[in-house]
Amino acid sequence: MTYGAMTGTKTHSLKGENMDRFLRINMTNRTAKFEPVPAQYKDRAGRWLTSSIVHDEVPATCHPLGPNNKLVFSPGIVTGTSSPTSSRISVGGKSPLTGGIKEANAGTGWSRRLVRLGIRALIIEGKADGLWLLKIDKNGAQFEAADSHAGARLSEVYPPLFTRFGGLKTVDVCSIGVAGENRMSAAGICFNDQDGRPTRYAGRGGLGAVMGSKGLKFIVVDDAGAEGVAIAKQDVFDAGRKKMAAALTEHAITKPRGALNSYGTAVLVNIINEAGALPTHNFRSGRFDGAAKIAGEAIFEGNKERTGKELYNHACSPGCIIQCSNTWHRPDGSEHSSCVEYESAWALGANCGIDNLDQVAEMNLLCNEYGLDTIEIGGAIAVAMEGGVAAFGDGARAIELVHEIGKATPLGKILGAGALVTGKAFGVARVPHVKGQNMPAYEPRAIKGIGMTYAISTMGADHTAGYTIAPEMLGVSGKLDPLDPNKTELARAFQYATAFIDTTGHCLFIAFAILDIASGFEGMVEECNGVLGTNWTADDVGRIGKEVLDLELDFNRKAGFTKADDRLPEFMTYEPLPPHNVVWDVPDAELDKVFG
Amino acid sequence: MRVEVRLYASFAEHAPTHRAGDAFYVDLEATDSLLNLISRLGIAAKDVHLSMVNGRVVYDRSQILQDKDRIGLFPPVGGG
Repeated sequence: MTYGAMTGTKTHSLKGENMDRFLRINMTNRTAKFEPVPAQYKDRAGRWLTSSIVHDEVPATCHPLGPNNKLVFSPGIVTGTSSPTSSRISVGGKSPLTGGIKEANAGTGWSRRLVRLGIRALIIEGKADGLWLLKIDKNGAQFEAADSHAGARLSEVYPPLFTRFGGLKTVDVCSIGVAGENRMSAAGICFNDQDGRPTRYAGRGGLGAVMGSKGLKFIVVDDAGAEGVAIAKQDVFDAGRKKMAAALTEHAITKPRGALNSYGTAVLVNIINEAGALPTHNFRSGRFDGAAKIAGEAIFEGNKERTGKELYNHACSPGCIIQCSNTWHRPDGSEHSSCVEYESAWALGANCGIDNLDQVAEMNLLCNEYGLDTIEIGGAIAVAMEGGVAAFGDGARAIELVHEIGKATPLGKILGAGALVTGKAFGVARVPHVKGQNMPAYEPRAIKGIGMTYAISTMGADHTAGYTIAPEMLGVSGKLDPLDPNKTELARAFQYATAFIDTTGHCLFIAFAILDIASGFEGMVEECNGVLGTNWTADDVGRIGKEVLDLELDFNRKAGFTKADDRLPEFMTYEPLPPHNVVWDVPDAELDKVFG
Repeated sequence: MRVEVRLYASFAEHAPTHRAGDAFYVDLEATDSLLNLISRLGIAAKDVHLSMVNGRVVYDRSQILQDKDRIGLFPPVGGG
C-alpha cells in the first residue's frame, strides 16, 4: 500500500496555525485532532508533561491494557534546539508491569522531528482492531494498516519503511516489536538511532504493551518543512547552551574520548564489580568472576582485535557531545549488536552468570529485534534459572529462551511478562523487584542510596529515577560511603533533580558534568529560560522536580499503592550479600521520610 | 607483604597482560601506602580517580596496605 492510498481519517493540517500544540489520536476510530496546549500545562514538557497528562486524564484504577489507558509522548523543553545531548523523548502511561505511573525515555532524532512539527505532546487513546501505522508530517496525521508487519524482526521492517518514507534524512520511526504486539509487560517502545538501527528504547515498564494494546505498531515522523522550535529569549538560550556544551566537553566522563565515548556505559561493569555491588546469579552475590570479560574495556579491546582498529562510540541521537552508544562486532569484523549498554551486559550477562560477550550481544540483539526491555528480560531469565528452567551460565539456553519470547510461546509469554510473573510461575522466592519491576545493575544491599531510590521511586526499581551512584560510587558530586544507610536527603534531592532533567529533554548523563561543574548546571536552567521565556533559577529545579514527583505519587496512591509497596524484597533483609556480607538494613521509617 | 591488583579502563596498559581486570600481585614493604603502590605501578597519582581496597572506595591514599589486600584502580569512569 502506498502512502497516497492510506486509509483512515482525513489529513489534519498544521499550516497557518500556532505552533506548540497537542496531537490527540483516537485509535478506536482512527481520528486525529490538534489542540492548543492547555494553559495549566504552559512550560511543561518531557516527563513533567507526560506525567501531568497521565495524572489528569488516565483513571488511576484503569487496566493498563484497556481502552482507558493513554500513551503520551513528549519531547523535552530544549529538544529540537541546538542544545547538546537533548534529543530525548519521554513516553508515559499507566504501566502494565508495575500498575503505577510510568515515564520511560530514549534518545532519538524522532523526538526532535516531533517537536519541530510543533507537537509538544502526542496522546494516543482508545483501542483499534489490528495493527496500524500512524504517519505524522507537516500536512497532518494519517493511518494505514500495518498487519502485514506483525511478528517480524524490527531490523527487517525498519529498512523498507525508511526506503518508502524518504530515508533517514526525512523520517524517524517509533515502533513496537512482537513483544508489544503480544502485550507483554517487558515490551519496550523502540526508536531508531542516527544510522537507522532499531535500537533506542523507552524500555522500562511495558509501555510497548500499552502501544500494542491500542493496535499501534508504527509512528513515522517526517519534519520536512517544519518551522522548528521557537526560542523566546535567544541570548539567554545561547549563553546557557554554551555553558552546557563547555561542561560536557570538559568533564572527564562526558568529554570526547572520555570514559563514556571510549568504553560506553559498560565501563561500569568492572567498577561496580570491584565494589562488590554487581548483582550476580540473580542477586546472590555482588561479584562475578567473569565480569571483566563482559565489560566496556573487553568490548573496546574485542572490537579492536576483530575490526583491526580502535572504535570509539557514536551518538544515538542528533547533537550529542557524549556519544556513548557502542557496537559489538563478530569475529569476521561485521557488526553484530548495538548498543551493548552497561545494564544490558549485566542483565543478560552477570545476572545470568554468562561471561561470553558474543552470547550476551546475541541476546541483546534479540531483545532489540523482539522489542524487549533488556533489564526485565535479563531479570526474568535469571529468575527462571533460579527456578530450574536453565543453569546459570548456560548462554546457549538463555538465547533459546529469548527466542521463546520472540515466538510468543507459553514459556516465552511467562518470561515476557517480567521477573515477578516468572518467579510466581516457577515458585521462586528470590525475585529482586520493587512494584513488580526488576532491579537494575546495582545491588541495593551494597549501595544503600540506590536501594532507597529503588524502594520509593514512583517507577518501581529504577536507577534512572535518582542516580545516587554518582556520589556513592563514582566520586561525582560527592564522595559518599555506599554502605552508609543515612541517605534520605540524597535519595530525595536526586529524584527531584532527575525529574527536572527528564523534563528538559537532556539525557540524564549530562548529570555527570553539571553536578561537578556549576556553570553547566546554570546553563541547563538558562537554556530552559531561553526557550520558554521564564526566569527560573536553581531553586526552580527542585520545585519543578517535586511537582513532577507529587503528581506521580498521587497517581500511584489513587492506583492503590501504599507505603508497603515502597519496600525492597524480603530476601534482601535476611540473605547477606557477598563479598561484604551485608543485608538491606535501611529502616522502613527512613524510606517513608523521603517523600514525607 | 603481597597485594592483589587490578587495573581498569585506560590503566590496563600498566598491567602485565595489558588487559583490564586481570589480577596480578605486587610485593610491598609493610609500611607501604596506597600512594606508594600507585607510584610503583607507574601511574600518575593525579590520574587516579577512584581507588578500591577490598571493595571499599578509599579516598585517603596514605592508607597503609595490608598483606593480601585486593586493590582496584580506576581513571574517571561513569555510565549507567
